[in-house]
Amino acid sequence: MIFLDYLYTLPNATEGIDSIVNQMTIGSDFYWIVPMFLFFTFLIVFIGGITRQRVKTGTADYSAWAIIASMATLLPALLFSVSAGYIRLDWLIIVVALNILSAVWFFLDKKVSEV
Amino acid sequence: MEKSTITLITSLVMITLFTIAIIGFCVGFANDNDAYFSITDDPELSSLNTETSSGISDFKDDAEGTYSSIIDTTIAPESGAAQSTGPFALTPGNVISVTKNIVYLPYEKIFGGDTGDNGFKIFFTTFTAFLVFISGLLIYKALRGNP
Repeated sequence: MIFLDYLYTLPNATEGIDSIVNQMTIGSDFYWIVPMFLFFTFLIVFIGGITRQRVKTGTADYSAWAIIASMATLLPALLFSVSAGYIRLDWLIIVVALNILSAVWFFLDKKVSEV
Repeated sequence: MEKSTITLITSLVMITLFTIAIIGFCVGFANDNDAYFSITDDPELSSLNTETSSGISDFKDDAEGTYSSIIDTTIAPESGAAQSTGPFALTPGNVISVTKNIVYLPYEKIFGGDTGDNGFKIFFTTFTAFLVFISGLLIYKALRGNP
């Protein structure tokens, strides 16, 4: 429950669609769509960031982009954890572990970065 | 103290603080939104959270003692360097044990941990051993010059 100071109860404009998406995710055999989405988010930030930075500056901060990408993956993973059926606990834990692994890489990286 | 020793200790402390921050954010998110899943449902991550917090608070307590013993160090004129490693060894010792715990979690959760015939175990074992080894070398270098 989100505690916001509204004067009226905010209507849920996507109520039917919410439950359709939820039930499709639970009922479908293709439950890999959520981890695949998270994997896609990670790679699009990681590879995209590295490529653009290399084009602009000639070099790339790999560990910095790894940590930005894993944090960008953590946010949708946390949103998926709000209601049942979207994500499994072990996938959420893997995303958190990926964050920690990226942090270890980032902070022990001897390369002088732009961060 | 050697610049690289300071860099290593800073890195290890930052890894610990980042871990506490990211786990705290996830737990807070789950509590605020009454989430179906919380990462505290996982016993290993939950215990890492408490161990890291208590480990870094040990560091906080010991850092003041280490600080005062560093500035109290006397150097004999003929030796040119401090004799005891005590003032330097205490603080890195705390942080390295905390960091070893933190590094163990991705090994456990992403690479499968100790279950079965896991060939990847050697990577993390060597990595944490390397951290300890480098820390010892840096402390030696800070005290007595290049080993």
